[in-house]
Amino acid sequence: MWQLGPGWDDEAQLARAWRAAQPFPYLVFDDFVAGARLPELLAMLEEEPVQRYEGDIFVFEASAPEPTTPELRELRASFASVLAPALSRITGHPLRRADMRAYAYRAGHYLLPHSDHQDDLGRVIAYVYYLPSPEPPAGGELELFACRAEHGELVATDSARLIEPAPNRLVVFEVSPLSLHQVREVLGGLRISLAGWFYP
Amino acid sequence: MTTLEQLFGGRTAMVVDDVVGPSRAAEVRGRLARTGYTRYALLDRGSYELLADPQEPALLAALTEIAARMTGRALAVAEARALRLGPGDYLLAHHDRLHEDHPVELTLDLSPASVPGAELHYRRRGQVYFRVPCVPGSLAIVERGPTVSCNHTYVSKRNPVARIVRLMLLLRDR
Repeated sequence: MWQLGPGWDDEAQLARAWRAAQPFPYLVFDDFVAGARLPELLAMLEEEPVQRYEGDIFVFEASAPEPTTPELRELRASFASVLAPALSRITGHPLRRADMRAYAYRAGHYLLPHSDHQDDLGRVIAYVYYLPSPEPPAGGELELFACRAEHGELVATDSARLIEPAPNRLVVFEVSPLSLHQVREVLGGLRISLAGWFYP
Repeated sequence: MTTLEQLFGGRTAMVVDDVVGPSRAAEVRGRLARTGYTRYALLDRGSYELLADPQEPALLAALTEIAARMTGRALAVAEARALRLGPGDYLLAHHDRLHEDHPVELTLDLSPASVPGAELHYRRRGQVYFRVPCVPGSLAIVERGPTVSCNHTYVSKRNPVARIVRLMLLLRDR
């Protein structure tokens, strides 16, 4: 399912773009999956159940942290095996495995600003892959913030980048205490994605 | 099994309706607005407007008296603030302060209109145990404990005219 297209050929250029990205390292890859394979990808997710999750920073629907269907487990394994070596070279972080959950953001769903960073979790690179939606979403952008910290506390958080949840787009970004980001509220339609983190 | 936290932790959690009427709420709301709010925007914690130490002595005294009657405690105002939230605003639980003692927190809803989904969530060890909906004129009375935190839920942008005004008091034993 996962194959790196021509956009991945020049790893030196991608590494430069990664390092230069602001407000923190990130890359965007459009047309990530060959168009002819998208129906097959969507079919592999059909049986994976999702449920509503709600906390003070989020409301969304998602699959369980551990996939329940062999199809999603296979997608997760092949995603890591194809991307981890290339992303290791591009980002300079040794990566081996990835987790993967399916997400469905409906109207009114959101994920408020947070960094993904927790010392004990080992998340190195975050990713989100936007699937084609039967009801293209309004809103639901990934927003990256420029932050300043003093004594371990954030003292400034300013909006810096908005990334549209365009279908068949992969976004990867570095996880750190300063990688503040959010999923803006979906105002209508359906935002569906696969997302997770890469680990050493 | 009953835990010590359940026995001695946050106890009273209730909402008293119609504590102030629409016209008095509008008067107070107007005075607060004229005094002026300051926007808080450290977005990993919250997004809202704050007015510290609102000068509403008569109202604060009346609310304290209601809380004293409902909890059976002799209480005095320790802190007061007014919060104003619009579409896209929120206060996260980790922006809230934990209290080692058991103060009483009051929230008077001065909003001009009800905003469905805009709630206060009181949590014990992270789990929501008490939800306060946005009902103009109502007063929430919550006895806090060392493991109790509170968040103000995200206000949806799908309601572009949503406006929530909360007068919040922390009361301690006299």
